[in-house]
Amino acid sequence: MEQLLDAALFSSTLRVVTPILLAALGGALCSRVGLFNVALEGFVLVGAFSGIVGNYLFGNVWLAVLFAVLCVMFFSLIFGYLSINLRANPIVVGISLNFLATGMTTFLLRAIFNVKGAYYDSTMVGLPKWDIPVIKDIPWIGEVISGQSPLVYLAFILMGVLQFYLFKTVSGFRLRSVGENPVAAQSIGIKVRKHQYTAVLACGVLCGLAGAQLSLGQVTMFTEGMTAGRGFIALVATMLGQANPLGVMASSLLFGFMDAFGIRLQGLAIPSHFTNMLPYIVTLIAMFFFKDRSYLQDASKAGGSSR
Amino acid sequence: MLLQMENITKHYGNVTANQAVNFDLGEGEVHALVGENGAGKTTLMRILYGMEQPSSGSVKVKGKVVSFANPASAMASGIGMVHQHFMLFPSFTVAENIVIGREPTAGGVFDRKQAAALVEKLGQQYGMPVDPWAVVSECPMGMQQRVEILKVLYQGADIIILDEPTGALTPLEVKELLANIKSLALQGKSFIIITHKLHEVMEVADRITVLRDGRLTGTLAATDTDAEQLSRLMVGRELVSLEKQQVELGEAVLEVKGLGIRGPKGKGKALLKDIHLQVRGGEVVGIAGISGNGQSELIQAISGLRPVDDGTVQLAGVDIKGMAVRDIREQGLAHIPEDRYLWGAAKDATVLDNGLMGHHHTLQRKGLVKGKEARAKVSEWIRQFGIKAGSLDNKIQNLSGGNLQKLIAAREFAHDSHFIIAAEPTRGVDIGAMETIHTELIRKRDAGVGVLLVSSELTEILQLSDRIVVMYEGEIAGELSAKDATEEKISLLMSGGNRQA
Amino acid sequence: MSIIKQNLRGLIQPLIAVVIGLIAGAIAILVVGGSVTETYMEMWKGAFGSFYFLTNTLARSTPIILAGLGVALAFRAGFFNMGADGQMVLGGLSAALTALYFPGPGWVVLLASIIAGIITGGLWSFFAGWLDAKFGMNLLITTLLLNYIATLFAGYMVAYPFMDKTGSAAMAQSEMIEQSVWLPKLFQGMGLHAGFIIAIVAAVLLHFFMKKTTMGYEIRMLGSNPLFASYGGVRRGRMMMIAMLVSGGFAGLAGAGEVLGTQYRFLDGSLTSANYAWSGIMATLLANSHPLGTALAAILLSALQTGAMGVERNTDVPLEVASVIQAVLTLFVSARIGYTFWKRRKGKQKNGTTT
Repeated sequence: MEQLLDAALFSSTLRVVTPILLAALGGALCSRVGLFNVALEGFVLVGAFSGIVGNYLFGNVWLAVLFAVLCVMFFSLIFGYLSINLRANPIVVGISLNFLATGMTTFLLRAIFNVKGAYYDSTMVGLPKWDIPVIKDIPWIGEVISGQSPLVYLAFILMGVLQFYLFKTVSGFRLRSVGENPVAAQSIGIKVRKHQYTAVLACGVLCGLAGAQLSLGQVTMFTEGMTAGRGFIALVATMLGQANPLGVMASSLLFGFMDAFGIRLQGLAIPSHFTNMLPYIVTLIAMFFFKDRSYLQDASKAGGSSR
Repeated sequence: MLLQMENITKHYGNVTANQAVNFDLGEGEVHALVGENGAGKTTLMRILYGMEQPSSGSVKVKGKVVSFANPASAMASGIGMVHQHFMLFPSFTVAENIVIGREPTAGGVFDRKQAAALVEKLGQQYGMPVDPWAVVSECPMGMQQRVEILKVLYQGADIIILDEPTGALTPLEVKELLANIKSLALQGKSFIIITHKLHEVMEVADRITVLRDGRLTGTLAATDTDAEQLSRLMVGRELVSLEKQQVELGEAVLEVKGLGIRGPKGKGKALLKDIHLQVRGGEVVGIAGISGNGQSELIQAISGLRPVDDGTVQLAGVDIKGMAVRDIREQGLAHIPEDRYLWGAAKDATVLDNGLMGHHHTLQRKGLVKGKEARAKVSEWIRQFGIKAGSLDNKIQNLSGGNLQKLIAAREFAHDSHFIIAAEPTRGVDIGAMETIHTELIRKRDAGVGVLLVSSELTEILQLSDRIVVMYEGEIAGELSAKDATEEKISLLMSGGNRQA
Repeated sequence: MSIIKQNLRGLIQPLIAVVIGLIAGAIAILVVGGSVTETYMEMWKGAFGSFYFLTNTLARSTPIILAGLGVALAFRAGFFNMGADGQMVLGGLSAALTALYFPGPGWVVLLASIIAGIITGGLWSFFAGWLDAKFGMNLLITTLLLNYIATLFAGYMVAYPFMDKTGSAAMAQSEMIEQSVWLPKLFQGMGLHAGFIIAIVAAVLLHFFMKKTTMGYEIRMLGSNPLFASYGGVRRGRMMMIAMLVSGGFAGLAGAGEVLGTQYRFLDGSLTSANYAWSGIMATLLANSHPLGTALAAILLSALQTGAMGVERNTDVPLEVASVIQAVLTLFVSARIGYTFWKRRKGKQKNGTTT
């Protein structure tokens, strides 16, 4: 057991939790403006793919991250336009966008790299590992926290920033008011659509980062459908965390830990099928214990916005 | 004059909502705008508040012609509106709800302490104290109303439009509100009050403008008129009183004993407590009360839509507690639901499908719906009740509220039942539809059916009921026979007055 | 008259979507430097160009139709059942195992296998419905998560206990099913099997069921306004479980049909990688949950996919162009479908599932 729960496990937890946390924060923002974003999965997938493309095009990992962010922002605009301007059901739009993300990435994988299934280039440089000066020398903690990709640190910083933004600033206050009661927000001159677009675009940025961590963070590669449901797990994390950045972080950490733990268990004689199931099962169990529907109620409230 | 609206006309397609209406308001004046549902009051005020653009006519504030593209620009000219359905953020605090849009900041951060202080001061200044840190969803309706008014004052409004401000308030809260309005008017604020409650109008207004069918039928000083004259101007004819036959009372069709529903998760205040209620064949029992005092829960408990914790419910002698909705209906229940869009219809389904609900078990053979008979039946209702429905395959969302309500009523009347629940049967429908539904309810009563009428309109209760039961905070506050009942007595019971006295 | 008109109106929307999808495809083709007309010609040939290709297209459409019908039923009832993938895999797995181990003459075993597939798929879907009705766990999310669990579990079953050890290839697959248990082919030497007939019959039956029966009526009303339905005496919880059971049953049947009619064994990943279930969901979205429309849309999507294979064989344009066309098509239609869905939900119900 001790071998199972060593520092490397927690270190890899931080690594695998990052995409989930980033996407879940994006989902939380959308939920705060009354949009239930099922398209997180597709957003992250587009981010992962465009990260690799960016790296291929510019040969620079930072430009690649930026490229991923821009691509997903553009992609998120489709979500915004259909569900905000055309008032289409965000769930149906989200499902379709997931199709579009899968379709586009497989097509472009063929079109750009001329490969099927996966693209891997050993010469491609991924995200660096940053050692943190003082912390890296602390015995156990240094091993866990130091030496991660910059996006890991950024994810946790963004969590704090969002917590502050939503609950301390005027702009965040108004953004929350849009999700709370869009008709009332409109009635006092708050620009509902502007805030909704802001949230959707910010969600795009966060999912772009999530995708970049996925494809550039550990091994530098892209495989078809490599998100493997992480976007949906992030959605559950958003729900469990009640669209509250701190809560979202806590639930993401739980799923991330299970993900890492599953990978670790593969070292034992357990078939990988079962270890791979772990995060999904834990997510289900978590849903069982923390069924809070207020998030969904918030999401549906926007439906009553036209009297 | 502070405000002048001249020759306002507004068309929606070929419907005319306002026809050459003139309206003005002086400083410190309370000007009531009265009229039936659909008379064009709200449209006129939406135009003033920038939510609609007039087809023709002009608006002047302090003598200058203005045109408001949206509420924000109306607000900038000192016009504020408190909507019928409050525009509040339930999980935010009172202070947050008031300052939103003009939040005080300190170093770029929302300064909630300063907001609370500002709100506290504002409340004191206008004689409407509030607790700035209270969460709005936990405040009573009267307090929420106060928050709405303070919000408008905080935004710097001099002209305040109140749309049906007393609809959800208890009589005590209404009194307080009217007193607040008067004292604010003395401080120079001007009010426009949209309402159809004439005694409130007479109490608070300086002048009264009456609209009927989108046209102005008179602007009068309160001192020169009375409620009767106003109601003639509103309706345009004398109200016919319904003729009720003397009917031999039958057996008890509904017998509710000790009914109780506990609060959420068994904690909190009980939603219904120890309700005893009997409805016999051939009588209309009216349930009066401010909405939200347990009437909805009572209806849902009787019709099987909500589980019951304590007591028994008998329908025609059979214990129906815990039975499924369908079985209760088969036991002889018809039910006009309180909210036609929420409970009573499926908006994107056809007229036929909506008419079929509840009848689909009888109009079937071996699990197949008898299409022809169903069509014939619904067509028959449409003819009988004069429902403007287009074709049977028309989507229900294309019907007007009154026509949909008539369809729902016809559907429920068509059940051969001993007992019928009529919940808010005429809310928001035109006078024609109201008369049709009322006449049919009384016809059912005369035929020996027991009717439970739930309504928040006292006039409707008084007009139709043989007995009146008043609910207050989930309990029965009192019972009156039709002979003894007066508006005052019921109002007192509705506000829990008998217990405090 | 009005019925014809309504059906025609139902057709116009998908037609416009197809045109938009083809335009998007044209852009994709231009991006990779192909000729639009040539590519679409090849696509047409690949899908319908000969009797062989036509039957091939119809064979591929079979599981898509069935999965789509299941999803359509659930959507109509107001439940976002996204679990067709997992339900199909489990249906296929249990059909294969039944076919291998159930004793008796061929046609009995075949029947038993089909039923086993339907029941397994149905139960897996029912489980999600039960979790929602009983514990309030959001159906949209649970069905998605259950997909992964089902696929991994099926993979384990054929990688360990029921792995085919007879062949030389060490693949995660079950043994080959005896020929007497196979679903018969409709034409000699063609891929099209009796499952297609089953699928078409199922589409007609479902259409009839939704339109004419009282239960179909109750399901439609439930999807339209759940409060209205329960007010009228529809038992929501029961209906939800029935709808989910049947919905999953269709997906299970789809899996069973593929195993018994095409692959003759359960091969890990073969059902999921072909994206039958997701194509079925797309077909449903395209047809606004209309059963006959769903069947038609399924054939269309399948034609796109087989057509794209022809494109890949004969031009430099990759077959993935089909997925772009499909996705754009679905997205375009969803904007409008969503609009009606959305209006429906203006009440106080929750999204994803409704209480």
